[in-house]
Amino acid sequence: MYLEDIPLGQRIVIGAHTFTEEAIMDFARKYDPQPFHVDRAAAAKSPYGGIIASGWQTAAVWMKLMVAYLHDNVSAERALSGFVSPGFREMRWFKPVRPGMTLTYSTENIAKLDWKPRPELGLLEARNEARDENNELMMSFIGRVLIPRKPKT
Amino acid sequence: MAELIHFEDFRAGQIFELGTYKVTAEEIVAFAREYDPQPMHVDEEAARQSIMGELIASGWHTCAIAMRLLVDGLFNRSTSIGGVSVDDARWHKPVRPDDTLRGRAEVIGVRQSSKGGRGFVNFKCEFFRGDDKVLTFTTWPIFATRG
Repeated sequence: MYLEDIPLGQRIVIGAHTFTEEAIMDFARKYDPQPFHVDRAAAAKSPYGGIIASGWQTAAVWMKLMVAYLHDNVSAERALSGFVSPGFREMRWFKPVRPGMTLTYSTENIAKLDWKPRPELGLLEARNEARDENNELMMSFIGRVLIPRKPKT
Repeated sequence: MAELIHFEDFRAGQIFELGTYKVTAEEIVAFAREYDPQPMHVDEEAARQSIMGELIASGWHTCAIAMRLLVDGLFNRSTSIGGVSVDDARWHKPVRPDDTLRGRAEVIGVRQSSKGGRGFVNFKCEFFRGDDKVLTFTTWPIFATRG
């Protein structure tokens, strides 16, 4: 699979995930122990009125679903090699994710860019989204992944 | 308990040193099994065959560790009520087992919210192993005011 072979402009649903209170609090105790993520009583008194998920967990679940999607949809050889990303941009958390919510995640390739440090690779940008049961946008970001270019002949 | 840092206390140019975090192989694998089970994150042997050639932390794990440094070093000492955005995140170098990461957050802007009682503070956040940057991003968390 080369960068040149990847189509732009198709939104693909990669999966859905239900956030349990247990998993929300477990993630937050380790990585984001702010009161409104880890303490029911404090969360009830916060502007959110209850426990909400760390935005970083909402983002990490995108990765979880993307790895599963790629496992099922790209060659085993490619999947075994792994994918490398130099970073992401425009991460937005629009609304709080609460226990029991199920989010549906999707991706759409939006741009192919040069990658100066390694010209044999190109940068694929994708706009990634998570939406709730009412199709409300909860999170979006622009992911970036390095993909080999077709060798010049 | 020291008084909490409120929105009014932030000024452009302030720098907060965020402490350190020791990363273990066990934690790298545990995070990746749940959220990013690619070969270079979950298995030493498979990692050697992968594009990176060694076991490294998921970039999302590095972000989560960065958040822990921000929470312990700043947000839980302040009136933080959460964040809405992260921009220009760059994973400069891979994080490996036994790395000790340290963080720094610099205030680069402040903006009163139209809602009142709160405001946004823009931070440039940098995370290092020794002198090497491993992760950088900017972010706009929200803080309650005194009033």
